[in-house]
Amino acid sequence: MASHRVELSERLRMVENDREQLVEELRGLLRGSERRFDAVVGSLGDAVTIRDREHRFIYANAAALAHLGFDSWEQLRETAPETIMSDYLVSGEDGREIAMEDIPSVRILRGEPAEPLLIRTVHRNTGEQRWNLLKAAPLLGEGGEVEATIMIIEEVTERKRTELHSTFLARASDALASSLDYEQTLRNVAELAVPEIADWCAVDLLGEDGARRTVAVAHVDPEQLSLARELRSRVPDRLDPEQGLGRVLRTGEPELYERITDEMLAQAALDERHLQLLRRLRFRSLVIVPMRLGERILGAMTLVSAESARALDRHDLRLAEQVAARAAVAIENSRLYSERSAIARTLQQSLLPEQLPEIPGCELSSLYLPAQRASLVGGDFYDVWAAAEGWMLVIGDVTGKGVEAAALTALVRHTLRAASEFDTSPARLLALLDATLKKRPSLSVCTALCLRVQGDTATLAVGGHPLPLLVAPGQVRALGQHGPLLGAFPEVRWQDFTLRLEPGSTLVAYTDGITDARGEGEARFGLARLRDTLQELAERPAAEMMQVLAARVERFQAGAHTDDTAAIALRRLPRRAPERPHSGRLSALRQRSLGPSA
Amino acid sequence: MVRPGRLDVRERVERGTVTVWVEGELDLSTIPVLEQHVDAQIGGGRTALTLDMSGVTFMDSSGLRYLIVLNERAQREGWPVSLVAPAHESARLVLEMTGADRALPFRGPARP
Repeated sequence: MASHRVELSERLRMVENDREQLVEELRGLLRGSERRFDAVVGSLGDAVTIRDREHRFIYANAAALAHLGFDSWEQLRETAPETIMSDYLVSGEDGREIAMEDIPSVRILRGEPAEPLLIRTVHRNTGEQRWNLLKAAPLLGEGGEVEATIMIIEEVTERKRTELHSTFLARASDALASSLDYEQTLRNVAELAVPEIADWCAVDLLGEDGARRTVAVAHVDPEQLSLARELRSRVPDRLDPEQGLGRVLRTGEPELYERITDEMLAQAALDERHLQLLRRLRFRSLVIVPMRLGERILGAMTLVSAESARALDRHDLRLAEQVAARAAVAIENSRLYSERSAIARTLQQSLLPEQLPEIPGCELSSLYLPAQRASLVGGDFYDVWAAAEGWMLVIGDVTGKGVEAAALTALVRHTLRAASEFDTSPARLLALLDATLKKRPSLSVCTALCLRVQGDTATLAVGGHPLPLLVAPGQVRALGQHGPLLGAFPEVRWQDFTLRLEPGSTLVAYTDGITDARGEGEARFGLARLRDTLQELAERPAAEMMQVLAARVERFQAGAHTDDTAAIALRRLPRRAPERPHSGRLSALRQRSLGPSA
Repeated sequence: MVRPGRLDVRERVERGTVTVWVEGELDLSTIPVLEQHVDAQIGGGRTALTLDMSGVTFMDSSGLRYLIVLNERAQREGWPVSLVAPAHESARLVLEMTGADRALPFRGPARP
């Protein structure tokens, strides 16, 4: 194409340089002796026309006659230029309509400069689309006045189509790769297709149950969009498998209807209103391509030409197929990704106890807000179980993502559960967990708070985790001693810290998802807000405390949870609480706690 | 939507030592930015690295994890690394809470 273009511009230059000679020839032409002029220009492959000051044709070479669709010069000469132009819809590169007075030769006659003009013509009857580059030059008389204009029409349809299609394909590929939300990206692709490729574009997906669902409809004309949507909504979910979209979704073979007739509309219409819509949308031409991966058909893309009157052709079909192939891959990637995230999430959540055990004399409640960004399935966990002596409670945060984090969580929980059968010291349990993590081939670190509850006494050790808060009416205190992160550093140790759980007080252990929860701007939920919230709820039951805290964190958060968030509250029932029938052991403990300290 | 945290990274190479200053929030959303800068500078593993986090206002467990991984890599590949702790309290607390302030190679602030 490029060399062709150079050749053409050289010819144009030749025409301009040899203007004197050309003018000479033109005079001959005007005198009726066109033979010699035609010998010069007639053989050119590009269409060349010469028009007089009234813009009537005085010359057209063979290529011009063919281009304008005329068999003979006489036929062209007798046809008014306006008539010829009215056979076409003419628009510029930007889609703006082009009128007669915008044509370069006409501008020259008006004495205006005439830059080359690229136009798109669509034949009103055949729908054939062409791109033409119009270049014009004046032919001046002896007095310097414009005697005539010469115009060269270079057809650049193929080049322009290649350019448009490759630009569209690149933009569509970018759009498809931009996000894992494939329904949104399909909508973006549909928007891109309009108006350069088609007047409207729809994307339908096939569900696993075989039902069709329209996920995108884009239309060049916003007013027609609602009609287009209504049309799509009237099409049943299960389509006629023998025609149109239904057949494409069944066979996986594309369909091209270059020209849609009213009879075809009538045949395809489901009912009177449907036909009415089809007619109002002025369907002219249609391409339906499947989105498929091997034998699996995921859906279909439909391109429709209407207002623009142009016929979609095999080139458009090819383009649509390329876009649909990319869309199919994007859909599949996104589905695989969601599936993987869902597996990781399910796995992680399955590691949380379904139900917390009942610890006599205590209330136990937890909150868990999983990370909402799919890829960031975190690793917050907690667990409560009956150990060799008393109860064990653990809460922690495995750093890492996805299935890997879930597997690590399982390891941490099982290690602690198994070890607690033999050892009662939380600090030693953490040391054992640390050693286990360090034996793993890849960096495996976690934070953990380990608490053993026995009656009114609790022993805790903390590894890289926020200290728990002891909440009593009028005060909230952080308890314990920071110890190193688990699985991370050499030669480290942890210490047990013993505390008394007074009746009516609540021990709250949490993960940093709560304090790190992000609000508007740079704000974080923070420790102060957590303390205030707990203080306010000091005398409330553990379940209510966790519910209110979860609600406050969610309300504070400006976006989605970027991290897992977990907390667990252990409340020692106040003395005035009614005795439970099974709490014989509790009474014994209580008596002991009422001993010297009371 | 999840809003990414803000992080500014600047670096200077002087006599085979790369100093990287980070300012802002060091969390899951910004770690890749820092990672990219650091990887570009220590390609080949021949350079000493100082990571100055005095301007870090927030750090979460993934930020900490990155520091641990970086330190392990430096030891494995045999290039010196030193860290400058955040001045900001909440970020500092994460390091203290996890024992990273003692276990990782922290030193005084780097010369600007």
